[in-house]
Amino acid sequence: MEPRIPSHRSSYGLESFLERGLLLLVMLIFLEGTVLTLGAASSPDISAQDNTGGGDDQRGIEGRHGHANYTKKAFPVLSLDYRHIHVPFEISLWVLLASLMKLGFHLIPRLSSIVPESCLLIVVGLLVGGLIKLAGEEVPPVLDSNLFFLCLLPPIILDAGYFLPIRPFMENIGTILMFAVVGTLWNAFFVGGLLYAVCQIEGTYLSQVELLPCLLFGSIISAVDPVAVLAVFEEIHINELLHILVFGESLLNDAVTVVLYHLFEEYSDAGEVTPMDVVLGVICFLIVSLGGIAVGTIYGILAAFTSRFTSHTRVIEPLFVFVYSYMAYLSAEMFHLSGIMALIACGAVMRPYVEANISHKSHTTVKYFLKMWSSVSETLIFIFLGVATVAGPHAWNWTFVSVTVILCLVSRVIGVVGLTFIINKFRIVKLTTKDQFIVAYGGLRGAIAFSLGYLLDKDLFPMRTMFLTAIITEIFFTVFVQGMTIKPLVDLLAVKKKQEAKRSINEEIHTQFLDHLLTGIEDICGHYGHHHWKDKLNRFNKKYIKKCLIAGERYKEPQLIAFYHKMEFKQAIELVESGGGVKLPSAMPSQVSMQNIQPKKLPPAVAERALPQFTKGREEEIRKILRSNLQKTRQRLRSYNRHTLVADPFEDGWNDFILKKQRMIELEKKVRLMSNYLTVPAAPPDSPTMCRARLASDPNAFYNIKASSDGVPTIQVDLASPQSPDSVNMLNEFSKRGATDQGLGQREGADRDEDQGLMMKPSSNPGLMRCLSDPGPSNEDEEDEPFLP
Amino acid sequence: MGSTNSTLSRIPNVEELMQETGFTPAHIVRLYDRFEALDKEKTGHLRPQDFGAINRLAMNPIGDRIIGSFFSTGQETVDFHSFVRILAHFRPADKNRPKDPSMPQPVNSRTSKLKFAFQLYDQDKDGKISRAELLQVLRSMLEMQVTEEQLESIADRTIQEADLDKDDAISFEEFRKSLEKVNIDHKMSIRFLR
Repeated sequence: MEPRIPSHRSSYGLESFLERGLLLLVMLIFLEGTVLTLGAASSPDISAQDNTGGGDDQRGIEGRHGHANYTKKAFPVLSLDYRHIHVPFEISLWVLLASLMKLGFHLIPRLSSIVPESCLLIVVGLLVGGLIKLAGEEVPPVLDSNLFFLCLLPPIILDAGYFLPIRPFMENIGTILMFAVVGTLWNAFFVGGLLYAVCQIEGTYLSQVELLPCLLFGSIISAVDPVAVLAVFEEIHINELLHILVFGESLLNDAVTVVLYHLFEEYSDAGEVTPMDVVLGVICFLIVSLGGIAVGTIYGILAAFTSRFTSHTRVIEPLFVFVYSYMAYLSAEMFHLSGIMALIACGAVMRPYVEANISHKSHTTVKYFLKMWSSVSETLIFIFLGVATVAGPHAWNWTFVSVTVILCLVSRVIGVVGLTFIINKFRIVKLTTKDQFIVAYGGLRGAIAFSLGYLLDKDLFPMRTMFLTAIITEIFFTVFVQGMTIKPLVDLLAVKKKQEAKRSINEEIHTQFLDHLLTGIEDICGHYGHHHWKDKLNRFNKKYIKKCLIAGERYKEPQLIAFYHKMEFKQAIELVESGGGVKLPSAMPSQVSMQNIQPKKLPPAVAERALPQFTKGREEEIRKILRSNLQKTRQRLRSYNRHTLVADPFEDGWNDFILKKQRMIELEKKVRLMSNYLTVPAAPPDSPTMCRARLASDPNAFYNIKASSDGVPTIQVDLASPQSPDSVNMLNEFSKRGATDQGLGQREGADRDEDQGLMMKPSSNPGLMRCLSDPGPSNEDEEDEPFLP
Repeated sequence: MGSTNSTLSRIPNVEELMQETGFTPAHIVRLYDRFEALDKEKTGHLRPQDFGAINRLAMNPIGDRIIGSFFSTGQETVDFHSFVRILAHFRPADKNRPKDPSMPQPVNSRTSKLKFAFQLYDQDKDGKISRAELLQVLRSMLEMQVTEEQLESIADRTIQEADLDKDDAISFEEFRKSLEKVNIDHKMSIRFLR
């Protein structure tokens, strides 16, 4: 069969994005389908010489008909050897398909707002599978359990664990554990038991299904799936509490699922479970969960410790994060402990220490890689689900499947309502009915259930295909029906949405203050509560752990200071980008804060006399302070949307900004130097000297940045124009607060010039910058500074 | 139950206390036991030294302020009633309280809790958190790890953000507004005091 490459000509005529997007989709599906068919056909059975299924041309060329007399043939100038590379090629093709699908969906805006991405991906998988089947070939068993559990699942879980918001997670840990453990157990037994009862009813032809397989099925299907939950929930932006409840539950129920699965699988042979086995099962559960967490913690500490020494080899820092985490997962899986919990524990434990140690760029790398892998993994999982649906042998049984779907819903609702009733007695902030509804409705099933079902032994479980069909139907139901309707329901019920993450310094200070207050009150009451233990943990952390795991002196810096610096510099950048002369409605970075960066001010007299050394020394100090302060700030990732990284406008312009700022400071000093030596007051901005200087240079693009926000009046500083003095005046007005007049014409005290140097004075200097051609600090200096969250 | 009743009978005006603070008899008894444990010399009153004997409180950066808050101005000692009244601020709020504007706010409502916290900042009780007071709090919380200049700039920034009427101090309303996103009921409640 010739590979069919569809003609590209037709695409040139199409105008709209929509059509292009659709065509892209179709093309890709074709391509994928045909190449895979090709691959599937040519891969098996080298030895079967009379196997003429598809793609024979290639094989013929190789001359594999090995026989005794060697006839000389022409030297093969060009040969095609697909078999040689087919495994990596197919893998890459799948990954490419997944990524291009993602691209395509976002090009079609209307579609992605109605239907969640996961649904679309499953449909694509169905299409691809369908194509392959149409072509007459056997669909490759893509959702192989090994592949799934060892390659596709870990990146998603690591991404979730590394960026897990610890505080809300810990505050709600009791609730989460209740839902995860008790809720899953309830679901498993309810569904399994009732299914068995239904199977015993006459007329369903299911009476050969025993109790234990039913319970096993119940335990497989009852676990809420983290992949599906993540995929759907991140598009609906609900408030933090609900998100962490459902998500936390989906992560922590892994231990329960593992134990139940193994328990029932082991004993379905024997046909019964004794109370002794139940006790053993409980013990097993404790070992599985605690053991998983322990394994993860150990690896996390190792990773943190390793990162302490990486200051000279920054390039491989991200690798440690990934490899240690993956090893934690594999080690846990080796002992049949809960790999998911190990991974979560590893990521959560290592994060604060690793982030204090690694560099700025490594942090970005880690973040991006995690999100990239998890994104691709998730896409692949859903596509494979679609393909596996088409592939798998199905045994449809109306009763079984419909009863499963109904029972899952019912049990989930009853479970959530019942548990909430109990939990609310212990919670300060109670869960409302709306919350309960969302938690119940958000219990989606996903690929983990399918893979677990796939792992079942065909001989032990003759009804395996029926189980698989039921599992797939349940997954489809939850992902399609519940996934699609949850967003409108959230809007309809007016569930509280996620708040914007902007936290003011007031909140930060007061929250810490209240923490201390509550700890104190608890001590007075003699009550060992929540705050007491948290405080104890923090002290222990600060005293012993941070010293070991964090390099250098960084462990001493309090959180408040880091937070404060971050805010200040964010505002400074906003200021720069908006053109400088605009009074921002919120608090402005005050003179004080800018002065704060400066070292002690020298009196002017001293400055004038000691000019040469003064300039250089101060320059170094300022550069160092700026660098260390700027590098410490980083926007904390508070957003729950895993796939769109918080748009960090400062990230790219950061280095540029630092460079230019420093350049400007140096130039200010040089100007002063010049003007002091010349004993001539510096030329006012519209003097011929300055104008000529300005005209001689190209307007530095940096200073022409338009304000990004709407509604804020912008002032474009056009450097070559004679109107610049006006903008300078605007700037002066702004910067007048708390300082003497800093007009360009007056260059008196050294300290005031320092202030000026740090305030953005775009109009005065660019010409001079060009003239003096100061190279500025080199880039590699900034690499070394580690990063602080 | 017998011991509860006997303990209760030892406390004067216990009915009024329960009414005012909303504590149940069991809580009152528990708090009374704690009061007696702290009151080593059995005087029936607590002095600052008794509070100071709590080790962990000494480590708390704002421990002195908390102790100070128990003693109303001019008083040297705290009796059981005042002790309970202060602690009542930290009871979780009653969700189903009818919102009756004419009735005074109960002790554990959001506003009362905030007012209590505000008073901890505002040591001179002038109704505003001045820059100096803020600096003091920051200094004690940050425990000598930062320079004076940094502290000052943080204080400036804080006041700038919260100060809406530009009087260079934070009034109670401004304080409340800056914390509107925080779930005060959750942050300022102790579960055991239900």
